[in-house]
Amino acid sequence: MAGILAMTGHFCVMSYRLFVIRLRSLHATQEHKSARTNKIHSPFSTGAQRPLHTSYLLLSTPNMLQSDLNTIQADALIAIAAATDERTLDNARVEFLGKSGRLTQASSVMRDLPKEEKPAAGQMLNETRQAITSALDDKKIALIAEADALAVADLDLTLPGRTLPAGAIHPLTAMQDRVTKIFRQLGFALATGPEVETEWHCFDALNTPADHPARNESDTFYFDSGKLLRTHTSSVQVRTMEGNKPPVRIIAPGSAYRRDEIDATHLSVFNQIEGLYVAENVTLPDLKGTLEFFFKALYGESTEVRFRPHFFPFTEPSFEIDVKLEATGKEAKWIEIAGCGMVDPAVFDAVGNERGDDAYDSTKITGFAFGMGLERLTMIEYGISDIRHLIENDQRFLTQFA
Amino acid sequence: MLVSLNWLKSHIDLDGYTTAELDDLLTFAGIEVEGIKSSGVPSDKIVVAQIIEAVQHPDADKLKVTKVDAGEGQLRQIVCGAKNYKVGDKVPCCLPGADLGGFVIDETKMRGVESKGMLAAASEIGLTDEEDGLMILPADAEIGKPVKDIFGADTIFELEITPNRPDLLSHYGIARELAALTGRALKQTFTGPDVEKSTDPSLVAIADDAADLCSYYSGRKISGAKVAESPTWLKSRLEAIGLRPINNVVDVTNFVLHELGHPIHAFDIAKLDGGRVIARRATEGETIEALDENTYTLLNSDCVIADASQPAAIAGVTGGEISGVSETTTDILIESAHFNPTAVRATSRRLVCTTDSSYRFERGTDPLAADLASALATQLIVELTGGTAENTLVVAGEAKKLTGDLTIDNDWFSNYLGGVTKDEQSEILTKLGLSSADGSTWTVPSFRLDLTRPIDLTEEIARVRGLEPVPASTIATPSHTSVDDAVYDHTLDLKKALASKGLFEARTIKLISSAQLSDSADSKLRPVALKNPLSEDLTHLRPSLLPGLLSVAARNVAQGASRLPFFETGTTFAAGNEAGDVIESQSFTIILGGDATNRSWANSSPRQLAYEDLRAVLDSILPNIRLKIKPADHPVFIKSADLAVGKKLTVGIIGQINPARLRELDIDVPLFAVELHLSALFELATKDQRRFTELPKFPATTRDIAMDLPRDLPTNRVESVLQGLNLPILTGWTMFDLFTDSTGQKLAADRKSVAYSLTYRDDTRTLKGKEVDDAHAKVLAALEKALDVRFR
Repeated sequence: MAGILAMTGHFCVMSYRLFVIRLRSLHATQEHKSARTNKIHSPFSTGAQRPLHTSYLLLSTPNMLQSDLNTIQADALIAIAAATDERTLDNARVEFLGKSGRLTQASSVMRDLPKEEKPAAGQMLNETRQAITSALDDKKIALIAEADALAVADLDLTLPGRTLPAGAIHPLTAMQDRVTKIFRQLGFALATGPEVETEWHCFDALNTPADHPARNESDTFYFDSGKLLRTHTSSVQVRTMEGNKPPVRIIAPGSAYRRDEIDATHLSVFNQIEGLYVAENVTLPDLKGTLEFFFKALYGESTEVRFRPHFFPFTEPSFEIDVKLEATGKEAKWIEIAGCGMVDPAVFDAVGNERGDDAYDSTKITGFAFGMGLERLTMIEYGISDIRHLIENDQRFLTQFA
Repeated sequence: MLVSLNWLKSHIDLDGYTTAELDDLLTFAGIEVEGIKSSGVPSDKIVVAQIIEAVQHPDADKLKVTKVDAGEGQLRQIVCGAKNYKVGDKVPCCLPGADLGGFVIDETKMRGVESKGMLAAASEIGLTDEEDGLMILPADAEIGKPVKDIFGADTIFELEITPNRPDLLSHYGIARELAALTGRALKQTFTGPDVEKSTDPSLVAIADDAADLCSYYSGRKISGAKVAESPTWLKSRLEAIGLRPINNVVDVTNFVLHELGHPIHAFDIAKLDGGRVIARRATEGETIEALDENTYTLLNSDCVIADASQPAAIAGVTGGEISGVSETTTDILIESAHFNPTAVRATSRRLVCTTDSSYRFERGTDPLAADLASALATQLIVELTGGTAENTLVVAGEAKKLTGDLTIDNDWFSNYLGGVTKDEQSEILTKLGLSSADGSTWTVPSFRLDLTRPIDLTEEIARVRGLEPVPASTIATPSHTSVDDAVYDHTLDLKKALASKGLFEARTIKLISSAQLSDSADSKLRPVALKNPLSEDLTHLRPSLLPGLLSVAARNVAQGASRLPFFETGTTFAAGNEAGDVIESQSFTIILGGDATNRSWANSSPRQLAYEDLRAVLDSILPNIRLKIKPADHPVFIKSADLAVGKKLTVGIIGQINPARLRELDIDVPLFAVELHLSALFELATKDQRRFTELPKFPATTRDIAMDLPRDLPTNRVESVLQGLNLPILTGWTMFDLFTDSTGQKLAADRKSVAYSLTYRDDTRTLKGKEVDDAHAKVLAALEKALDVRFR
């Protein structure tokens, strides 16, 4: 209250009469305004606003000012506290800080004060203004926060979402792409070939004996033209070598056909992924390293891979590949997953004959080939027990891979 | 092929090897073990018991209460449901505590009557028996003796022998392989007969024109044989591998086949006309009644073993019924021969008659083994029948060794196989029965018919050595993107784009039924039929993806799906111009119908997908492409159009599926489809010539046109007029309203109200109002002139 004391000694400079008139007019305005406000804001209606002293004249001017300001401030704080939204808050601001607000009017005494008293009075006014302004600001922040809270009152974070139409690529496509990506990392390019094939590309060129059972009409689909539906994607090996000189490094995902009744483990049309690497001095370690890399990339670095000797007419030596995998809740076991081998020189000789050059001279060129069933890879990957799910395209199945 | 461990052990000592170790040993030598079964009685608490009494169970019609003597000094009461026994029979009795593989026999009450054990059927105690019901044991079986001691336990391996290894199709063959793998010696080797060979064309002959079908034929006569039941050792050998014993002569032929892998046959000489045989070509249409009681009709390409008047056997496949050995046979001719594998295969396949014999001959047999088989068979038949063998083997043709010498490049082998020293190569090849003086030139034993080229020896070394010691190396040199790579990436991008728009990728199989052919999008394509379809459902290569997708939609509707957004990419097939030509193309097909989204709280009745939804999907994969839509008539659609870009590029077919077809498929929502040529999409994508255009510097002015038009006027006619005007400042337009009213109240029923917003802009300056007005007036005039239009 240093300001109040400071003002005391200077008040006499102002004409006493003038001061009283000023104060009265201030009261009148204030009362008038309050009455208007009261209609809207109930907290003001029951004596919340104390009437200003009519006995100012009897008191020392600085004290009177201080007391008045106290009253204004107290009223303002009540009005601010009572505001319920931004509009009523603004009304309160106008009432106290507006052009003809109560504090603004009280400030007008400054004009008539002697110069030396002005700082003290100014300080008193400032303090009051600051108190009201800060209360207004605080209330404004509080009201905005309240409004924000109200705006999200209905937000239920557990509410089910609206539905965007769900789609999915087929699990076979997803699996095929995983395989493709890994071989591309190893520098393999994609290759394709016809599905309606000649017997030469499907069997003869792949060193398959003329009377091999796979050629039977009971095992292979034929056309009246004598052509057939390729029984494996290995025919793409031959097609690729016919059209390209070594080095050849390809993978060929595609359909193959066998005359099998469709059941839980067989399809008459299925998918394979064929691979071939042919160049000078390709050796068994290259086959092992490449396919180990592939299966470890597919199933994890720690995956065990083993090669079991086997027989295929178009590779020598030949192997089947097993990987040790864990089915959920079961002990890890060896699962047969692919066939592979070093390309039999007879295949190069057949290709060479067809090309009519020595690009595939089997004394110089070596290579390895491999093949795996896409359905089998996919079924192992996702734990699908019946192969028919892969051709039925039931939405309840497909959405599981969205 | 079934292999008995007990039988193998007659050839090689396998003590110390567990079943699992033998499994591994075979597996990693390239012999796939498909199954292992332990046979034999599982518990020694199963004993021989004699049924002393059997009375009806008081409370159960189907049960009898028996009293049996199990050699315990007192009789045991057991309730039994079988019917095939009589009092006095000896049967296996499982005493309490006998463990039948997890199921332990206990004393119990059956329908209130005490039962202290179980009388067993063969199958319940790990044995096989043709009989249904209790196993009736021989009358001389000793009461109380564990049944296990009568029927020895055995382990049966089911092996898959790859077609290149006919030498493994016998117990001796497997034992020989195991000897190589384990380093243990074979207990015996088979040698040729100690008999003279003679030729006697009047007894054994090969016809001149059959020399290519039968290169060697031998006959050994045994006379005075007494055909009878085989001894237990022989029967149990055969039973162990699932064969039914018949008599001592037939059983010996079967035994020799499974012992040595070389099939032989025994004729009853008395039933051979002229007592002689000749290997000859069958005459066309000649018939023979075989041992399986089928009558086969033969062709000139078939080889038969005939007597003086008719075929007595189909060479290498099956014997004839008439000349077969029976109980009355006394004089036997043992055939051991070498037949052409291809011919045997052709005959066996055509006649649909596969036997253990044909299986081996068609894979190739070692001619030198013929004499070994003949000698073994003779020895056993003489031993078992008491007959007398003639001391000459009558032969025709010549048994030639089919294998030769192979010279390998040891350094090349070492590099190729990942570092195998010459010594190691020699060690492995020697173990396998090859021999060499210098480690480079190797003599192949006669039974390894598969080793014909030096490269074949790489497999021998690799499989015996395993891949474990082979170092792993990877090649990683760059390779160029192929066209296939680019197409693959483009296709996958399309698939992912459609999946993210809420469509499901379907993958259907590429064969369809002839009934489905009419579901094809393009009715002009000629479908390709299979010559030998497997079923009526899969008779043709699909000419279109639409048939498959329609059945996918039908299946999903049947499963309760209400949204039907599917697409598929893949090969489609059509007949080409030349006979037999098949044109393979890549198609990309989308079908849409049903609810636009799944039902949710926010949208409890989703709208139905319509043509414009399909069009939106299409536009999204062909952005900034102006499609030409030309009405067409493809029957699967009720309304369809051909799609093209520019004058030359055919893109596909779009339309609404015929509701009549949908009704047949039980699909009750409109379905829309587009079938696209993937090659066209790829061409458009690779031709992509998008270039950045500066953003406009001057403001545009828009003017709207509301008009009504004949209801059946294709909307793109309006756009054609706008386009045809070639107004430089008319930079774009959007259709923003379409309204029809079939009741005719707000608009004549045969009219439609259409509204367009037109954008006018000049790139170099701000257009004046008048310029826009003039241009717009031209637009209106042109529309009015070209179309039956009323502005609103």
